[in-house]
Amino acid sequence: MQIKKFARNMGTTILVSSAIFAVSQQVNANKKLEDLSEQNTNWVMQTKDYNASHYSSMYQINIQNVHKLKPVWSFSTGVLNGHEGGPLVVDGIMYVHSPFPNNIFALDLDDPDRILWEYKPKQNPAARAVACCDVVNRGLAYAPGTKDYPPTIFQDQLDGHVVAIHAKTGKMLWKIENSDIAMGSTLTSAPFVAKDLVIVGSAGAELGVRGYATAYNIKDGSQVWRVYATGPDKDIGIGEGFNDANPHYGQYGLGTKTWEGDAWKIGGGTNWGWYAYDSDLEMVYYGSGNPAPWNETMRPGDNKWTMTIWGRDVNTGKAKFGYQKTPHDEWDYAGVNYMGLSEQMVDGKMTKLLTHPDRNGLVYTLNRENGDLVNAFKIDDTVNWVKKVDLKTGLPIRDPEYSTHMDHEAKGICPSAMGYHNQGIESYDPVKKTFFMGTNHICMDWEPFMLPYRAGQFFVGATLNMYPGPKGTLGQVKAMDGVTGEFKWEIAEKFAIWGGTMATAGDLVFYGTLDGYIKALNSKNGEELWKFKLPSGVIGHPITYKHNGKQFVSIYYGVGGWPGVGLVFDLQDPTAGLGAVGAFKELAHYTQMGGGVMTFALD
Amino acid sequence: MDNDYLFTRHKLTLLTDKNMILKSKLLCLTGLVLISGCTANAQPEIASAPTGEVLKVCAAENEMPYSNKKGEGFENKLTRLMGQNLNRKIKYVYWKDPRYFVRDFLNKGLCDVVIGVDAGDPRVATTQPYYRSGYTFISREDDDLDLKSWDSDVLRSVSRIGYIPGTPSEIMVRAIGRYSDTFNYNKELVGFKSRRNQYVKYDVSKMIGDISSGKAEVAVLWGPSAARYVKESATPLTMTVVPDSSTRADGKKVGQHYSTAMAVRKGEAALLNQLNSFIKQQHYEIEELLEDEGIPLLSKS
Repeated sequence: MQIKKFARNMGTTILVSSAIFAVSQQVNANKKLEDLSEQNTNWVMQTKDYNASHYSSMYQINIQNVHKLKPVWSFSTGVLNGHEGGPLVVDGIMYVHSPFPNNIFALDLDDPDRILWEYKPKQNPAARAVACCDVVNRGLAYAPGTKDYPPTIFQDQLDGHVVAIHAKTGKMLWKIENSDIAMGSTLTSAPFVAKDLVIVGSAGAELGVRGYATAYNIKDGSQVWRVYATGPDKDIGIGEGFNDANPHYGQYGLGTKTWEGDAWKIGGGTNWGWYAYDSDLEMVYYGSGNPAPWNETMRPGDNKWTMTIWGRDVNTGKAKFGYQKTPHDEWDYAGVNYMGLSEQMVDGKMTKLLTHPDRNGLVYTLNRENGDLVNAFKIDDTVNWVKKVDLKTGLPIRDPEYSTHMDHEAKGICPSAMGYHNQGIESYDPVKKTFFMGTNHICMDWEPFMLPYRAGQFFVGATLNMYPGPKGTLGQVKAMDGVTGEFKWEIAEKFAIWGGTMATAGDLVFYGTLDGYIKALNSKNGEELWKFKLPSGVIGHPITYKHNGKQFVSIYYGVGGWPGVGLVFDLQDPTAGLGAVGAFKELAHYTQMGGGVMTFALD
Repeated sequence: MDNDYLFTRHKLTLLTDKNMILKSKLLCLTGLVLISGCTANAQPEIASAPTGEVLKVCAAENEMPYSNKKGEGFENKLTRLMGQNLNRKIKYVYWKDPRYFVRDFLNKGLCDVVIGVDAGDPRVATTQPYYRSGYTFISREDDDLDLKSWDSDVLRSVSRIGYIPGTPSEIMVRAIGRYSDTFNYNKELVGFKSRRNQYVKYDVSKMIGDISSGKAEVAVLWGPSAARYVKESATPLTMTVVPDSSTRADGKKVGQHYSTAMAVRKGEAALLNQLNSFIKQQHYEIEELLEDEGIPLLSKS
């Protein structure tokens, strides 16, 4: 009030100039991280940059010399269980994280022999029991320092807390509770930094957790916005203008109307995957997960807005568009996979795009400004639950033979519940205009049962059996055009490529395999040029960075995650882990648990 | 047990092969036989053990209060009584997964008798029912909840309702619109294990414990499965049988009362006849065994 009065007397000059000052400070904080992400000496976020390109313009290591790549140093995290995500490198420091208990280590790249600092949180041990699919963690996030806060490392902890750590000293700055493990809700995701916010997801859909994404102030962890996947529009962040460019996607009131009664309250739609960000549009992108309960007869309706690609205003969380990929999911095709941004020609016009390989076996490319569906195509021609996506309506045309209804035994559903693509982050080569995808090639049989016991009690459930798809192996690596849906090359891999890929201007694409190889392929034709057997299998992604003029490649090893549940928990029943135990029974013949980071370089 | 009952039960046949009936309580009270550990709940030391051939009984390894490996369940007690009556040595064959004990144990000949199934279960040949009971509302006496049926208002406002998935209680929780807000508690009861095709055991004693402690206000459980824990609770609890007239939203009846029988494989007529004879001959003892357990008994017709 007083400021306004003053301005009226003094003219509006002061008010306007202070507003400009405030805005430019915010832009600076954000821009700095973006600038850092473009420097080859860094790998400042899990996705490498806001486009989630996982692409480096370095070519010091290239198709001519990659065969000479050798390990130069390594570091064990001291933890077993699956190591997802990758290390971060900022200003010559590598930040390494581990699965539960979620230890963090800082290593000086000038002297990686010593641990610069470590942060070992004390967590509620009950968190372990609640986690569904191994106690993984998808990684750290970094924010550069501003006048308001120091350079900060963020981590989502399994027990539901989010912690901010001083990047130079390892001292905790603040800690907040995002998820309550007493409700069955844990955190396995990596946080995401945009502007002065750190964005955190949620997990636990099957246990009745209603999914939500939250933005906290980097400075003190106070909540700025929270948006849900189901319920009233206000809770979801749906307001005027939502899906105006594509009203047929659905607009208002559907977060309740597409559910029976109050079933949306336990509707799931948790998001534990990845984000991308367009700093010009100030829009953040991510996908919401599967609806709950798993038994689709318990939740008639489209179950919006689970399984949705979101384009939201980063400042308020308000949704500009939401496109639901799998209405009324029957297969557990959690829609949380990575979002790869690119700018490509579409119908003669340069267009800002978002490309997303979903669990359901389809790759979606959208105009990321307004949500227009540019293309939706099968990542492999063996996908069968859907015949194709009608690009006009955006709806999948389903094949009822591959439905999972309680009165129908289905054989050979492709993809299996694990999806033809899971949580790995992929890479995009902007010169070749090509995405490199590490995929799963796993199909399943669905056997529902309703078995009588006594006193009118029945055991209702379903057994999933999973196995390699028709092409014979559990995984593939493919090079694809995200706009046309054309595949340039494809190679088979014995096991699923769970951890994602990284590509470089040296015409290379790198990835790790479940049985423990880090490999480099010629990104022009898929020819394998180099590989190295790590101490344990890989479910994370490789990174690359320059230090003192030399290019390095680093990767976590440590098998686990969903494909590793049989190995990690010593499970024998092939139908355990929703069938993952059977699908990956061979894995234990090739690798065992481990945990650490290994770094490679040329001589 | 009242004295009238004692005096009317004057027949105590010790001599015949067929009727080696020994009432431990009766003997304790009359002092006719010195029995060690002569308390209401002790396993009876039988003066003469069965001498006939082994009878293999399918029994749950760990499904209390019905049965466990230590023989502490009321179906174990009933099995011993049956063994006496038939003069057969009992050999327990234990199963872990209640979904498959008929398919994988009884029908594969690993055992020949099951003690507790629904009368008329189409998978097997069932005896005459030896009791009928119902689902029950269980709550703290002090809370004085007005729980008469699934129409009772209080069920719409309590914060937690304990029930086992797949039972008529789950259908009714859905019918009264409480499924969503009791879902998470239900998952918490099994430590948030979500196993689509594996058997996940709901621990009834834990659910009753939650009522006693006040964590949950109501549990709606099959009477026989909860009776013992309700009886043993330090905090006084009430158990009210749910009327059989419950209906769900589409008007379809959701049965709350069920009759329990023993069973054998289809075609095993001789053994079935023997079990029916046992049930008929010893219906008083059986009834008393069940009353001892605290099971609310409903008339069979």
